[in-house]
Amino acid sequence: MTEPASAELTVETIEEKLQKFLESRTKQTWDPDADLFKLGVVSSLFAMELVVFVESTFGVFVEGPDLVLDNFRTVRSMSALVMRLRPGDPGA
Amino acid sequence: MIPVLDELATLLTETAADAAEGWDLAGEIPVDVLRGLGAKGVLCAEVRPEFGGLGLSGLDNGRLAAHANSLCGSLRSVMTSQGMAAWTIQRFGTRALREEYLSRLTGGALAAVAFSEADAGSDLSAMTTEVRRDGDDMIVDGVKTWITAAAYADLVVVFGRHEGGGAVAVVPVTAPGVRVEPVPSPMGCRAAGHSTVVLDSVRVPPQNVLAVPGQSLTLLTSIALTYGRLSVAWGCVGILRACLAAAAGHARTREQFGTPLARHQLVARHLTDLYAAERIATQMCEHASRAWDGRSPGLVMDAILAKYVAAGNAARGAASAVQVLASAGARDGHVVARAYRDAKLMEIIEGSTEICQLTLAEHALAVAS
Ligand SMILES: Cc1cc2nc3c(=O)[nH]c(=O)nc-3n(C[C@H](O)[C@H](O)[C@H](O)COP(=O)(O)OP(=O)(O)OC[C@H]3O[C@@H](n4cnc5c(N)ncnc54)[C@H](O)[C@@H]3O)c2cc1C
Repeated sequence: MTEPASAELTVETIEEKLQKFLESRTKQTWDPDADLFKLGVVSSLFAMELVVFVESTFGVFVEGPDLVLDNFRTVRSMSALVMRLRPGDPGA
Repeated sequence: MIPVLDELATLLTETAADAAEGWDLAGEIPVDVLRGLGAKGVLCAEVRPEFGGLGLSGLDNGRLAAHANSLCGSLRSVMTSQGMAAWTIQRFGTRALREEYLSRLTGGALAAVAFSEADAGSDLSAMTTEVRRDGDDMIVDGVKTWITAAAYADLVVVFGRHEGGGAVAVVPVTAPGVRVEPVPSPMGCRAAGHSTVVLDSVRVPPQNVLAVPGQSLTLLTSIALTYGRLSVAWGCVGILRACLAAAAGHARTREQFGTPLARHQLVARHLTDLYAAERIATQMCEHASRAWDGRSPGLVMDAILAKYVAAGNAARGAASAVQVLASAGARDGHVVARAYRDAKLMEIIEGSTEICQLTLAEHALAVAS
């Protein structure tokens, strides 16, 4: 499942994959800026599924101070996280 | 089994097989035994080699937990706590914290993990322990109950509230204001060192606190508990294996009405049920651990499902084993008597049976079309 460290990983392709996963699990569509947790549709346990999905789909490790709920709050915040952490990026 | 797992299993057998009954009756495992195992990395065997760990896969670490629990539920409980502490530090810690504490946890230091409080058991969102900043230090204030391994621990990984969210503090028990008060006479896992941990305005260096703005207490606890659930689920597999071995051995040799017990069909059914319980629990655990190792998002629910099924099976299976052994097992400290007491508690911890049922029902509602 792990994506090779590819230069083709763009914000658009990342967000598309995230939206597809979210739709399959919540049976609703999500705008990139919609707060996933605000309406209680998404539980904290599901947040952990999201963490694992992001890691395995985009080949990144989300650890330490990056592993914070705010980074998973919206599709946009997740794509920003992936862009920052993806392989080849020296990161924080 | 790969060789390293074999070796670790042998080490556990040599350490615990003959001693477990005595530890249970005394309510204590000699701390040097635990430190010795800890220094060999066995208590948190999944820690990566770069941090001094053995780097076992989740699957092998689970198999090790099952083996430990087939010998001694208290020892497995200590392993679960140590492993959960290491996992929490590995996931949420800064690199510096990981380097310092993971090497200690694989070097003989012992750790406990503290979520529960008097008024926050199933409902961890009711937690009141507070982690707050005070000048250059952080202060931890609260009372944690039923903390496994705390009686032995050098460090307690404490979950608490912090600036509207959650934080984790790594608290050395030698810090002023920490008091550890063992639970008198726990019903099961009697030598696991369960204790109340009082944290009375304990001052810790800020680098020991994993506090990030916007962190959610439930994300912290659910990530930590996923490790714990898998470990407990595998422990239940070990309970079932010990019970099956004891019940089969007894039913083969003990004769009543002129025939071995195993030839009485009602006894044979107990053996079938135990065998099925063990096989089902094993396969649920293997499935969840493979999801864990393969980093599949399904691992979260798979771990809850494995824990739910394995704990229920262990509680029923241990009751069957006591039934088959009857008076031969009805002595405190006997392997099936320990299993019976320990297994019931596995239905309470790391998400009780009812809490697992609620979560799994929500999941079923979400995914079933
Ligand atoms: C052996 C042992 C070891 C432990 N080790 C640790 C440890 O290392 N660290 C730690 O932090 N804690 C530990 N604990 C505490 C443990 O996590 C709690 O006991 C557990 O979360 C249950 O909380 P409670 O005992 O307060 O029960 P309660 O939450 O009071 O629940 C009582 C009963 O009500 C049910 N119930 C509660 N809410 C609901 C609901 N919404 N719907 C249906 N049923 C419900 C429960 O399932 C249970 O059957 C340990 C406990 C034991 C017994």
